[in-house]
Amino acid sequence: MVKMVVCIKQVPMVSELPWDQATGTLQRDLAEGMMNPACRAALEAALRIREAQGGRITAITMGPPMAEEILREAIALGADRGILLTDRRMAGADTSVTSYTLARAIEKTCAGFDLILCGFSTSDSETAQVGPQLAEELDVPGVGYVDEIVVSGRTVRMQRLSDNFLETLEMSLPGLITVTTEGALPRYVSLGGLQEAFSQARIETFDAEALGLDPARIGMQASPTKILSVASPTAGKKNIVLTGTPKRIVEQLIERFDDKIGGAIGKDLKADKKQS
Amino acid sequence: MDFNPCMKHKVVRKAVRMFAEAELGPIAHDIDRDARFPWEVVEKMQPLQFFGLQAPKEYGGAELDSISYAITIEEISRVSAAVGLCLTVHNSVGIYPIERFGTEEQKRRFLPAMTRGERIGAFCLTEANAGSDAGGVETIAVRAGGDYVINGTKIFVTNGGVCGTSLIFAVTDPQNPQRSAGVFIVERDTPGFTVGEIEDLCGMRANPVSSLFLEECRVPETNLLGRPGDGLRIGLVTLDTGRLGIAAQALGLAQAAFEDAVRYSKERQQFKKPISSFQTIQNYLADMATEINAARLLLYRACAVKDSGKPFGAEAAMAKLSCSATAMRVTNLAVQIHGGYGYSKEYDVERYFRDAKVTEIYEGTSEVQRMVIARAVLAQRT
Repeated sequence: MVKMVVCIKQVPMVSELPWDQATGTLQRDLAEGMMNPACRAALEAALRIREAQGGRITAITMGPPMAEEILREAIALGADRGILLTDRRMAGADTSVTSYTLARAIEKTCAGFDLILCGFSTSDSETAQVGPQLAEELDVPGVGYVDEIVVSGRTVRMQRLSDNFLETLEMSLPGLITVTTEGALPRYVSLGGLQEAFSQARIETFDAEALGLDPARIGMQASPTKILSVASPTAGKKNIVLTGTPKRIVEQLIERFDDKIGGAIGKDLKADKKQS
Repeated sequence: MDFNPCMKHKVVRKAVRMFAEAELGPIAHDIDRDARFPWEVVEKMQPLQFFGLQAPKEYGGAELDSISYAITIEEISRVSAAVGLCLTVHNSVGIYPIERFGTEEQKRRFLPAMTRGERIGAFCLTEANAGSDAGGVETIAVRAGGDYVINGTKIFVTNGGVCGTSLIFAVTDPQNPQRSAGVFIVERDTPGFTVGEIEDLCGMRANPVSSLFLEECRVPETNLLGRPGDGLRIGLVTLDTGRLGIAAQALGLAQAAFEDAVRYSKERQQFKKPISSFQTIQNYLADMATEINAARLLLYRACAVKDSGKPFGAEAAMAKLSCSATAMRVTNLAVQIHGGYGYSKEYDVERYFRDAKVTEIYEGTSEVQRMVIARAVLAQRT
């Protein structure tokens, strides 16, 4: 019986999201939300652990009231409980403050947990920081970027791909794991599961007061990270015609693109040139 | 009156869309080309309760409300209308009549295998000389001891080639077909029951539409749905429900064609501009969007009326009439916007265009829908 907490996040469904052509930013107000793919993988990992070992799964998210959607979806997929942390004062939190908020909420609502599972990263901000910071906040060991998990007794054995090496790690519980999307394919939600998740399940909702949070440590004003701007990277294309004798063309090619050509053939052309 | 979708309906749409795009998207073109029923996807749909969308939980169903049901059919049909057709026929005219008119014993005997998707349902009314005129049915069921012996031929049976449990519309007294009609549950393995050749149709080609032959087909009298003579009433109520599903299917087709047309109009350059910058194309897109929205509202309202327990026959007919006409017009314009490419099998709009036509024909032609609507209109006091 493994007591698990799965931290999930609602992210914008980028495939359905219009870009503002003028500013190069996502039009977030038009966004449909979805469960972050890596969080879905973390939930799948939890469901498989429960199928093998028995256990109880609590899905928890921090976000606007609309984030209730992904908690209901998590329950439809098999989670036993859904906890929503929502409060306007929590809005704009960076990863550090998010980890603080989640940690206090988990201590309050899921005391005695064995294993916390997070997605390794979210598709909207890609920092991959909340999982490791949450382990620090809760003062439990944590392992990131895990593909496979097996729990036996009070020990969890994990596999992850690291610099093309397959690492096998062991950790004693309680602990925290961040899960990649390379493991078991997440299951689809059943329609009867959705119907029940909406008609019968109760979502437990907490605000800052209910969690007993220090108002000075939550939300945007407490966050050390400030986002100055968000823009889409533009990949430009340019045609360049090199002219001259074949020898001159090759020289120009090396002058302009030595780093790219060298990278492709695994040589430092500049260093080679100096030596010669 | 709230026109915003509730959270559940949004989540149902996203969940079904995710499944349809991932599992049906890559094969939708090929199964149409090869006229192949995608069993491998059906097997993935079975545990997700696509085959028991509205059936009660105790018989293995998902117990969805009718708007969620319509959204599910719409989203599957947006990717593959032929698979959407299989689901809507199975759920609305296969399972629903048994759930609504069946005895407890019949429900326990037939529904669980159907909601698991192990036995796909079919509703068999149409014959060579009967279709819109249900009174013209010539398939005959003769009482013999505790059984009925059925003889006749059904044509254009949706899901015919894959059906496990068929509802056969037959008369017990050919002199009095209206009053002696009955709906008989016949399982595929019943001796005397055979499936004819798969029809070579214009659209919906991944659905194995076929004839069914019943020769001295003997079923226990406990396979009769309702009381003797209830057939016409059961048929009419069943068709009302079926029309909501076909409307949803047509709507999904229209939505798919519309999305492709918008995308293509932004990509396709003529006179050094995307064709979406031309007013003619913009007018087409505006008409398509308007008609789809109007049809969708009619459909969801008809679903809401059904769930409120009130009669919804006229509303269902209006939704079906509107959604199928919209599918026809929108797919036609989508082909037009694609120009020569739209007429090529390389682009999906060609398939949508072929698939759309039959939505104006089956589950009651558009002419029959108008008849149903006019009857309701004229019955009102002025």
